[in-house]
Amino acid sequence: MDIVTWARTRSPWLIHFNAGACNACDIEVVAAITPRFDLERFGALLKGSPRHADVMVVTGSVSRQVRERLKRIYEQMPEPKFVVAVGACAISGGVFQQCYNVMEGVDKVIPVDAYIPGCSPKPEAILDGVVKLLKSAGY
Amino acid sequence: MEDHKRLIGEFTEFLGAENVMESKVPRERRVFVTIKTDKLRDAVKYLKDHEGLTHITTITGIDSGDEIEVLYHLAKKDLSLGLRVMAPMEEPVVDSIVDIFNGAGLYEREVHDILGVAFEGHPDMKRLILPDEWPEGVHPLLKKWTLNKIRETIDGKEW
Amino acid sequence: MGKREFTIHVGPQHPALKEPENFVFKVDGEYVVDVEPRIGYNHRGIEKAMENRTYIQNLYIVERVCGICSNSHQTCYTQNVEELLGMEIPERAKYIRVLLAELERIHSHLLWLGVAAHEIGFDTLFYYIWRDREVVMDMLEEISGNRVNYAMPTIGGVRRDIAADKIPKYLKMLDVLEERTKFYKNICATEKTVLARADGVGFLSKEDAIRLNAVGPNLRASGVASDIRADSPYLVYDEIPWNVISYDSGDVFANVLVRVDETFESVNICRYCLEHLPDGPIRTIFSPLGKVPEGEAVSLVEAPRGELIHYIQSRGTDKPYRYKIRAPTLGNIPALCEKLRGGYIADIPIVLAGIDPCFSCTDRMVFVDEDRDKRWEMNGEQLRRYGVEWYK
Repeated sequence: MDIVTWARTRSPWLIHFNAGACNACDIEVVAAITPRFDLERFGALLKGSPRHADVMVVTGSVSRQVRERLKRIYEQMPEPKFVVAVGACAISGGVFQQCYNVMEGVDKVIPVDAYIPGCSPKPEAILDGVVKLLKSAGY
Repeated sequence: MEDHKRLIGEFTEFLGAENVMESKVPRERRVFVTIKTDKLRDAVKYLKDHEGLTHITTITGIDSGDEIEVLYHLAKKDLSLGLRVMAPMEEPVVDSIVDIFNGAGLYEREVHDILGVAFEGHPDMKRLILPDEWPEGVHPLLKKWTLNKIRETIDGKEW
Repeated sequence: MGKREFTIHVGPQHPALKEPENFVFKVDGEYVVDVEPRIGYNHRGIEKAMENRTYIQNLYIVERVCGICSNSHQTCYTQNVEELLGMEIPERAKYIRVLLAELERIHSHLLWLGVAAHEIGFDTLFYYIWRDREVVMDMLEEISGNRVNYAMPTIGGVRRDIAADKIPKYLKMLDVLEERTKFYKNICATEKTVLARADGVGFLSKEDAIRLNAVGPNLRASGVASDIRADSPYLVYDEIPWNVISYDSGDVFANVLVRVDETFESVNICRYCLEHLPDGPIRTIFSPLGKVPEGEAVSLVEAPRGELIHYIQSRGTDKPYRYKIRAPTLGNIPALCEKLRGGYIADIPIVLAGIDPCFSCTDRMVFVDEDRDKRWEMNGEQLRRYGVEWYK
């Protein structure tokens, strides 16, 4: 493993973006960093600014109003960047399919690297998804 | 229930029987009254000042086919009263009650967004919940805007 | 606009959690002069979707209006449909619904307390509270099968029963929650970090709270003892002994106290429900293709964040003709704007969080000086730090 991959996979900084979710996935994403689940033991850190982040964790079915903001925040992230879609809504729109104001999935707007299914996924599932992403990046 | 009937009686007397189209008490703590549209402000003022209905829970707009119903949910401790007025479908206009209920501003903007009802006298009738790029004149909760028609207008394709 | 006034855009993205919303602040130096909310980032078109789905399908979309108070929305929806059907649900189902509602309130209030601690820069408390919140999450998972979005109420009753042999275990878990919440109440009431940031911040007078139609804990923190569970009792709230909590000081600190004390009340209600759970069936059958008679109904529920109203109009088909939902946060926005006016920029995060909005977005803000045509940006994390530094 070269040193760049080593550095990259040992400290993935996350940004969480709510793209019109019902908050269920969001509280589970936050729960994943709290002591019981402790995502931070993989070096992950939840950051507030997209400019500091390597991985964007997106929840929600992507409403029309949020679509441009999602793109803009994705563009602000430095390369290489990864996107994780958390929850049924972020994957396909979920229960909100055929609602007039949703885009039905994050991959309609920006490219997605990992999907974590569930409504909402348990924190264990979110951990598993992030770890799988890191493995695919050469952990 | 007795108290609700008394409320309706006194309210009808105040507004005049010809201005109250319908009133019903479906169950304990619920009252629905339908009045003439131009009496709205008088009715709301009366209910607030004389019956102590100081809380507005929300405003519901309903496309009932040929007219738009605007339903004001006023409330006090043990009563939720639905005050209904009708607005014509072609050019729905209702008086604003923001100066009576300061909390009603956002609800009026919401009804304006989804049904196109204009509230005369509202200080700031801006868009509230629909996206910035949403086309003017598409009011999604109107029955004539089916999901497919909305999608076709905005994205140029159906589901 | 005066020479020294600035405009700040707050949102629509936040680092810790919650939904994307946008606020525009006009500030004069360190003071907030005016606030203008722009919501709708989370508008999905649920009301329209509900008109196109059957009553059983709607159970699951109404639950996902909000993932934190999902049970309140479902309870409100089922009450409406049952009223139109003229259906009386079994006693046991009512108790189970109340139990779920109160567990949800505990989980929501502890969640809020943690977030509030994070907003004032007290992250240790945040992690502690969220660790202990897992106890109530475990309980919810064991009872319903899921940590959030429990799907417990269904038309005619509840979906799952509570096993009698599990009740002693649940009671023990409630004891743990009560004990830990006492510990946190003690910390909040004595710890300087909390007092300095919460005491006297974000004031809302009783008159303003009533005038601006505030709801829920936000209203009760301003000295109005108004709670739907007491004023307009639904389910079995009139059979259970409990108290309405209210505090007079109207600031963020009162918000903290109201929510902590409500957590105690909720623990007691849960205990009562588990100990007095009546026997019998848990639901009456409603056919998935069932039609609902013509009519209209209004249902009120006290969600963790306050008064929740659902309105239904049926025209005798298998789908609602019109369904209207008003969540408590929308009702609290005018009061929130009043709370922010006259306060410090540094207090924006905690006052926003103070009403426990289903959104609170303090990320990525743009400061605009309109007179000098100058712009600078600040994200929510920086604003939070700014607030923490400012109070050092």
